[in-house]
Amino acid sequence: MSKEKIVINPEFWDIIPQDYRDLVDHATYGKSDRGWKDVGSSTELIAEHSLCAGCPESIAFRHIMASIPAPEDTVMVGSTGCTSLVFPMVAVQNIHSLFGNQNAIATGLKRALAYRFPNQVKDVIVLAGDGATVDIGLDMTLQSWFRQEKFTTICFDNELYANTGGQESGLMQKGFVAKMAPQGKKFEKVRLPEIARESGCAYVAVLTTSKPSLVERVVKQAVLIAREIGPTYLQIYTPCILEIGKQSMEGLQEMRDSESAGERFKFREFITPEAQAFIDDMNAKKKADKLAASANN
Amino acid sequence: MYYVAEINEEACVANKGCRLCIMYCPEANCIMMNDEKKVAFVVESRCKGCELCVVVCDAAKHKAITMQDR
Repeated sequence: MSKEKIVINPEFWDIIPQDYRDLVDHATYGKSDRGWKDVGSSTELIAEHSLCAGCPESIAFRHIMASIPAPEDTVMVGSTGCTSLVFPMVAVQNIHSLFGNQNAIATGLKRALAYRFPNQVKDVIVLAGDGATVDIGLDMTLQSWFRQEKFTTICFDNELYANTGGQESGLMQKGFVAKMAPQGKKFEKVRLPEIARESGCAYVAVLTTSKPSLVERVVKQAVLIAREIGPTYLQIYTPCILEIGKQSMEGLQEMRDSESAGERFKFREFITPEAQAFIDDMNAKKKADKLAASANN
Repeated sequence: MYYVAEINEEACVANKGCRLCIMYCPEANCIMMNDEKKVAFVVESRCKGCELCVVVCDAAKHKAITMQDR
């Protein structure tokens, strides 16, 4: 699927909505060097979403949509939660799955795409909240990693069920008291990144969305490794400012606090030697291309 | 009445490469670059008034963004 397959009849151009025309004229489809640097001067692949004012999840969404290497050849699989409020506003093909079975859907989708388009690269990205990834869909999440399915799983970790009022989730930190979990969490936060590494993920990263350049590097690596090597997993902290009692402008500071040394979202990544060799090889090629381009100039 | 951000074009340092408000605005296509003037501007119909841009701009001591009632 590419943009060229949908050509608007010039006769109808004046009745096409402005948002759509902006996407056709100014979006970054088909550019191999797209990244967050394009944000602000090009149309983003996400429009007027319905998340709360100041929601860090929407910052994460913007950074991820700006970083996906090939949006025209990407299918995203979402799940129930705040993310499902955004997917109708995203200009990338996407599927809404039932709560928890997003990795099973992505498995079937990836296999079908490989069968239907054997000579093209198709990326599948699962993007779900912590409830869908770790509590309700843990079976499907783990099984897809055991089977070495080649797609990226991104977990938006807000440490509780924010959409339904603040119930306890497996990724909530120990002792945290939420609106609908008044006794406090009794056991530790599930160590899913370590579980992912042991389950066969080729690349695992834990981060917050406070640095767009880091999000871009990590998302690109995860998608490219998932194309060639095996499953990848990203866990991104997107605090729910309403449920942890913060103001709309305090989300960024909350993320920065939680990624300082010794905190639970300190940036860490696990990468298999095979995936590391692939990334080193790719970076070396990029460097050589740059050198050749500057020599030609 | 709406509560929206407004950028003071004289104080904005986007011509020096600053993209802080554009990077951290939670709304897509809300704070954009004016490529001719090299300053950022707010698309008011998309601004939800969260003040995150004011926080990051003030933290960098540019103080170019203020909140306005419209």
